Amino acid sequence: MLKVEDLHAGYGGAEVLNGVNLEVKQGTLVALIGANGAGKTTTMRAISGMIKPSAGSVTLEGTEVDGYSASRIARLGLAHSPEGRKIFGPLSVEDNLLLGAYRRLPRFFGFHSQAQGELEKVYALFPRLKERRLQHAGTLSGGEQQMLAIGRALMAQPKVMLLDEPSMGLAPVIVQEVFAIIRRLKEAGITLLLVEQFAKSALEVADYAYVMERGKIAVEGAPAELQKDERVIAAYLG
Amino acid sequence: MGLVYALVAYGFQLTYATSKSINFGQGELVMLSAFCSLTLLDWGVPYWLMIPLGLIIGALLGLVVERAAVRLALEQKSEGWILLTIIFGLFAFSLAENIWGRDDRPFPTPIPSDSFSVFGVDLTWLEVSVAIGVFGIMGLIELFKRRTLLGKAFEAVSADRDAAELMGISATQTVMLSYGLSGVVAALAGILISPITTVGPTMAMMLILKAFSVAVVAGLNSGFGVVLVGLVLGALENLASLYLGSGWREAPGLILLIMALALRPNGIFGKATIRKV
Ligand SMILES: Nc1ncnc2c1ncn2[C@@H]1O[C@H](COP(=O)(O)OP(=O)(O)O)[C@@H](O)[C@H]1O
Ligand SMILES: [Mg+2]
Repeated sequence: MLKVEDLHAGYGGAEVLNGVNLEVKQGTLVALIGANGAGKTTTMRAISGMIKPSAGSVTLEGTEVDGYSASRIARLGLAHSPEGRKIFGPLSVEDNLLLGAYRRLPRFFGFHSQAQGELEKVYALFPRLKERRLQHAGTLSGGEQQMLAIGRALMAQPKVMLLDEPSMGLAPVIVQEVFAIIRRLKEAGITLLLVEQFAKSALEVADYAYVMERGKIAVEGAPAELQKDERVIAAYLG
Repeated sequence: MGLVYALVAYGFQLTYATSKSINFGQGELVMLSAFCSLTLLDWGVPYWLMIPLGLIIGALLGLVVERAAVRLALEQKSEGWILLTIIFGLFAFSLAENIWGRDDRPFPTPIPSDSFSVFGVDLTWLEVSVAIGVFGIMGLIELFKRRTLLGKAFEAVSADRDAAELMGISATQTVMLSYGLSGVVAALAGILISPITTVGPTMAMMLILKAFSVAVVAGLNSGFGVVLVGLVLGALENLASLYLGSGWREAPGLILLIMALALRPNGIFGKATIRKV
């Protein structure tokens, strides 16, 4: 579904990624773990078009999308829930969700009724968002904002969803809630690429995992293997 | 009068919201649209048909400004648009001088200019038409922003451009839309104000200074603020010319601008702005 080959990208002159290869098969949950600064967020940004790759290819469902603008890639069905959540603070919770479905909805009128079905599904998953649907999104707590960011990505009915550190800065109880949600997304058959600091929990939910070091994939394999790998244990699970 | 300043200032807000840039040639845009509309009238186009045509011309001019002066600068994340929009203004000024001459020309209107009195306040039909036009267009644009998905996308780009792109919203097209709308607003300002002030190449200069003071005092994100400040400024100007003589007419606007810049860099109604221009 999503295939990344020999991806190079960076900021200004400085190259951060030097040749990343990874693949996310349809209906699977793939985890991308690694130390702070390894280049996980940069990988996600290069996939979704927020930064232009300098070399390599990104293929979404058979289409090469590297070099496309972020909005065009999003309209093709890739939903990226970015690091730091980036919800639309001044807009209401419901408007945030509706905008998540922007790629599928009419631009002027009738968008609300057309989004109703998906909206109800997201509200069923996150009842607290329904309670606060008319509130400004900026007034939500950190955990609620993360739920909103995930819900907004779901609204797109994406082919692939990228989740960058959904547990960042959240209290341990909320982190557990976030992982419970991720499990439910997986059961629902959503194709997911997950970046996480909590390597242990990420490996528990993933079907396949990549470990990133200094802009490259250092180790990859099924979680069961990685959990036994000496180096991975020493660096991330110890 | 004050409402027209508010309307031009509102045009600043529209483009500032999506792109953190404003068109320093906005006054010339008002002037050019007014001249084009006047030419349409000269050709025998009826007044009420001239208005939509004039607004379309304004939108096109707004798009020209975006394409020629703003887009490249924004893509390079530079502040080049400041200089480029000023240059657009100068260019528009000499263009107008060459096509229509330097003299001020009257702008005919079917709206009668006789006055009547409501609750002791003297009003003319022209002033009433200005109020209807200003509140009408601002109301329509605010409705568009709140009630349509495209309008919400407009707000999303103002709130977080990168995140909006991730929803599939093209930020470039949204910025174009904002410049187009800002052009419509400028054209309407020109059509509304010209019967009162006449049309001439120099009408831009004073207008933009006033609108700029209004925008600075009210902040670049408060639509309600510009109306209020615009009305206050209009009233102050009338008082100044009434009690101090007509030479003092321009004084309040300039004093207001200087005070605002000194005391409240973010505007009285604006939340702290994200980035200083
Ligand atoms: N906006 C940016 N501008 C310049 N350098 C950046 C930027 N974002 C990240 N970097 C650099 O890129 C490297 C990888 O960062 P990042 O992809 O955020 O890592 P991770 O998500 O794995 O923690 C780091 O060395 C970081 O300093
Ligand atoms: Mg990161």
